[in-house]
Amino acid sequence: MMQSVATRCVLAGLFLAIARSPATAVDASAAIETVETFVSDYCLDCHNAGEAIQDVDLESVLLREGDWARDEDARRSWELTWKRIASRQMPPADAYRPDEQEYRAAVAALETVLDDVADKHKDIPAVDTLRRLTRTEYQNSIRDLLGVQVDASEWIPRDESSDGFDNITVGELSPALLSRYLTAAEKISRIAVGRKTDTAMGLNVRLPADLTQENHLPGLPLGTRGGTNIRHTFAQSGVYELAVRLTRYRDEMVEGLYRPHDLDVLVDLERRHRFHIEPPENGKDFTHVDTNLKIRLPIEAGPHDIAVTFVDQGESLMEIKRQPFDAAYNRHRHPRQQPALFEVSIVGPLSAEDSGDARASDRPAAPLPTDTPSRRHIFTVWPDDDSIAAQLVAAETILRPIVRHAFRREVTDADLETPLSFFRESLVGEPASREQFEAGIERAIASILVNPNFLFRIETPFAGVDTPGQRRAISDSELAGRMAAFLWSSCPDTELLDLAVRDRLNDPTVVREQVARMLADPRSESLVTNFAAQWLYLRNLDSVTPDLRRFPDFDENLRRAFRGETEALFRHVLRTDASVLGLLRSDFTYLNERLAKHYGVPGVVGSHFRRVDLAADARRGGLLRHGSILTVTSYATRTSPTIRGNWVLENIVGTPPPPPPPDVPTLTEKSAAVATTFKERLAQHRDNAACASCHALIDPVGFALDNFDAVGRWRAYDGEVPIDASGTLPDGTEVAGIDDLESSLVARPEMFVGRLVEKLMTFGLGRTVDHRDAAAVRKIVADAAKTDYRFSQLIQGIVASEPFRYRTPSPSQPPSPSTDSQ
Amino acid sequence: MMNKKPHSSDSCPSNSFGRFVAKSSLPRRTMLQGMGAAIALPLLDAMVPSLTAAEATPAAAANLRRIGYVYIPMGFNPAEWTPKSETLDDLPSSLAPLGAVKDKVTVVSGMDLQNAYPGSHATSNSAFLSAAKAKLTESSDYYSGTTVDQIAAKQFGHQTQLPSLELSMDLLSTVGQCDNGYACVYQNNLSWSSPTTPLPAEAHPRLIFEQLFGEGGTPSQREAALRRRASLLDSVTQEIKRLKNRLGADDRNKIDDYIESIREVERRIDHAESTAKDNPLPDLDRPVGVPVAYSDHVELMFDLQLLAFRGDITRIVTFQLARESSTRTYPEIGVPEPHHPVTHHGNNPEKLAKVAKINQYHVSLFADFLRKMQDTPEGDGTLLDHSLYMYGSGMGNPDTHDHANLPIVVAGGAAGNMRGGRHIRYDKPEPLANLHLTLLNKVGVPLETFSDSTGTVDELFDPVGV
Repeated sequence: MMQSVATRCVLAGLFLAIARSPATAVDASAAIETVETFVSDYCLDCHNAGEAIQDVDLESVLLREGDWARDEDARRSWELTWKRIASRQMPPADAYRPDEQEYRAAVAALETVLDDVADKHKDIPAVDTLRRLTRTEYQNSIRDLLGVQVDASEWIPRDESSDGFDNITVGELSPALLSRYLTAAEKISRIAVGRKTDTAMGLNVRLPADLTQENHLPGLPLGTRGGTNIRHTFAQSGVYELAVRLTRYRDEMVEGLYRPHDLDVLVDLERRHRFHIEPPENGKDFTHVDTNLKIRLPIEAGPHDIAVTFVDQGESLMEIKRQPFDAAYNRHRHPRQQPALFEVSIVGPLSAEDSGDARASDRPAAPLPTDTPSRRHIFTVWPDDDSIAAQLVAAETILRPIVRHAFRREVTDADLETPLSFFRESLVGEPASREQFEAGIERAIASILVNPNFLFRIETPFAGVDTPGQRRAISDSELAGRMAAFLWSSCPDTELLDLAVRDRLNDPTVVREQVARMLADPRSESLVTNFAAQWLYLRNLDSVTPDLRRFPDFDENLRRAFRGETEALFRHVLRTDASVLGLLRSDFTYLNERLAKHYGVPGVVGSHFRRVDLAADARRGGLLRHGSILTVTSYATRTSPTIRGNWVLENIVGTPPPPPPPDVPTLTEKSAAVATTFKERLAQHRDNAACASCHALIDPVGFALDNFDAVGRWRAYDGEVPIDASGTLPDGTEVAGIDDLESSLVARPEMFVGRLVEKLMTFGLGRTVDHRDAAAVRKIVADAAKTDYRFSQLIQGIVASEPFRYRTPSPSQPPSPSTDSQ
Repeated sequence: MMNKKPHSSDSCPSNSFGRFVAKSSLPRRTMLQGMGAAIALPLLDAMVPSLTAAEATPAAAANLRRIGYVYIPMGFNPAEWTPKSETLDDLPSSLAPLGAVKDKVTVVSGMDLQNAYPGSHATSNSAFLSAAKAKLTESSDYYSGTTVDQIAAKQFGHQTQLPSLELSMDLLSTVGQCDNGYACVYQNNLSWSSPTTPLPAEAHPRLIFEQLFGEGGTPSQREAALRRRASLLDSVTQEIKRLKNRLGADDRNKIDDYIESIREVERRIDHAESTAKDNPLPDLDRPVGVPVAYSDHVELMFDLQLLAFRGDITRIVTFQLARESSTRTYPEIGVPEPHHPVTHHGNNPEKLAKVAKINQYHVSLFADFLRKMQDTPEGDGTLLDHSLYMYGSGMGNPDTHDHANLPIVVAGGAAGNMRGGRHIRYDKPEPLANLHLTLLNKVGVPLETFSDSTGTVDELFDPVGV
């Protein structure tokens, strides 16, 4: 009983890269016989019709009989069986087991049967036909559509995540969200058009409270320490007021201000002002230390880097008896030695008269209209004269390609009606002014940004109720939309859209070329920051707060460095088209000084990330050795072998255990404070039959990582108890720690690659991947094996796969009764 | 558009314009939309003409429907605060500024906060509105109690654009340990929407303004902005209906849901328009920066509360006038020493006098606000009549960090029959939770007990001698 529960829990899949041949009737028949013999010899003792341990009955569902493949449950059950056997989880290790040769034969045979069934019954899980853009997709689309970088999180809330990604549940449009879209559309169109208006903007940037600012921070000029760089697109040229506040402790004293400091304001790396900050004369009254840190700066419209940062004064650590913490942000625990930046606020533009400040008026006013990237992008033509007719001609020339880009398809005159009517409303009469023209374009763009054809990706359902097993290729523009969402988290660009419009995407060679082009494009960075960040839980870093008392060195800087390392390794694989196995085992990694110090890797100086080749005993390298992952899978106070084991099974191995029963308490705290070791106490899990079924398989995987503490540092002891990282993995392999765990994962690459393909497909299609996709996944993995699992081959395989390019009829989507669609 | 300002010296605005600037001499649009103003003048002084004359259209009769809480840190000097009698005819120095509005004010003495013990700054703040015990931790597993303002917000916060408004005077966001092993959240946050969810307060006037009024502007500009938004929304309706024809049945059902959402947003825009009509606000000039002078900053923060009430943007406010263990200095009133050390007075008469001075200063800023509320007509009374404010500290004697005999003042509430001009004194300690419960009941929260409450402060609303 216990073992069979266990196998339900852990299905460490082992894919055999067998030569694939078309399954003929003879093959299939022979394969069925092989499987049946195996099942009868090794499975039916438990999984017979009478006992059906764990509800698995391999006796009643006969492979050779009838129409079982049309039965969803039977197919799901046989796909699960395949994984259990392929992963050597079944039969259980303590049962009568087949030898390796029998295993191989059975797995190959079952694979043949299942692939044959999949081939005959094309049944592709439905992708929602109406899908709202995620916040990331919205922001990227704005960038590509209008040539303007905005931070959409200013207006649009975070998307709900399901199945590990935030693009799965995207059907809803709540009033609150719609309201935010309206606001965003008005603000973004204003920034993009950059029309001179009488409305000033205000921007406040506050630095995280636990950001240590004693040293140089990435993205800022050398010779500086702390501070921040704000990348912002200014809608208008003019004089802006920039005000700065310093970090104060709870008693309102400015932290770390023991001697004078200089604070620089730089615009696009050029120093524009230097504040001099003095400690208060009496050493106590900090009230006005920073109240007058204000400066007015002329800034031209367009994107700029506004940096506010301290001038580095070299070695500034006070001499203290104990070793200073790496983190410095709380006067009680680890005080700041030097003042830190709390907030930068920018307001403007101020009118010429009002900004009556010598500094500002000395400079010539910026010429209008201003030349910014987004204006160059939008205003491709200007009206020939000041007649209304000329305005309309120019507006249509400008708006048509924007609408096409935004709607991801060819546009009709009906599509242009709404934007053009908004444009017309802004025209007061002849002679039309440039001002009116720009205002009209701004309104038209706002209307495009709230148009459901932009906010939603729309595919046409395949309406054919009585045609089972039928499938149909999605349209070329739909395919272009899927490719752009998958690879760029954005909309298709002109090249891709042009090909789609000319029906060129049904040519596999063209698609391959486009995928290659899109992967090489900088926009594919979204695979790092959007896909990988979600797959590997990097997004959870923001909410991680390790216990301050136990981990006083943890701060925002470390959080950023953690994310930086993992993103850099993934980016390396993407950009060099390396084998994805390099994610698991690597003899180099990416470090900056902060992270190297945390890991105890010597010789890394400076805040920038660089590739560091590691000594054999460096204990760093692959993903499972990254502080990011080790930290997001720990509790605030201690490691959790269960969470870590679960993470590995879910994200790396691809055999997620079922969720725990609802009423189970966690272990009590105090690792190592009691006589027994933590491991001994976790063994309680396995003494209790109900717990053991899953934990016996989860925990050993996590224990193999227990040499890394809750913030990813190497340790030999937990308190005074030596770490014991040994155990038996789900497939029976004995391991003694991280090295063995990695070896076992790399030794069966199909397992990991299969899981990565499933994750990529989930993200790429925006839907849950299930047993109906299993054959396609097997094929992609087998094909990629030929090129040592190069990253691009996985992507190419997915885009070429049937789940990506086809849809099957969905019974609940009858054809629309209306034909006058436009 | 561009508003001309005769002169601006941004280096020291508090000197060129005092708080009580002559109304007629000041151009009204000094802060319009950030144009040219590095200073942030109190909103109302500049706007009183339009507010009291042109736009004093009384709103429909309003009941007692607003509640506000103002926090002062580090207790008081009772000798200069507690009235000797049961009336406010002879106000001690700390409360003297309340003279002009004393009919609308009741002083309550002898309340305590047992759950704030053992005495600390952190728990003074966290228990003030929750009357709850704070879990002793400096990590992220902090735990306190839902505060009274948020209980009110759950009851009637949905009726307004913003359920509640959280304000403070300090731009701080310390994390980690702050006070005797207590996490900084206890000291930073007055308002908690659940025992584990502190609500950060905002101190930057511009950010608060934008939260309340968007970009502001004149009434006609604001109306035009709403119209523009409405017409954008209309286009969504049109386009979504056009789209519907192209979709399958499932998606058409979704579209019906979207159209429901659109209607809801339409209703909100309509509501905003009618609210603006029924509760006319003057020109709303967006403040730019943080005023240099403390008193200017406080006045601006109070003005924002008043405008939020007038416009019925929110009905619930919390406001920390300073944080516990603040070392702010008040040289403008002759206290150049940091606040916190002064409050460890050791019964030194000089230090006690300074504590009283700081108390008086804070009270005077609150009194100015009450006066403005009283001067703003609303329905059959004034804005103050339809609001309840509780002002005070979660610490009594700062020298010993105790939480007994707290300084507490209740203001407004005439629409709910609160009788002002009185001093209610408890000789035996009375839980502050009783007062919380009383005020919550009065603004329409049907609660029978709250934390360690043992009853209500009935005499607050019972006319004496009836």
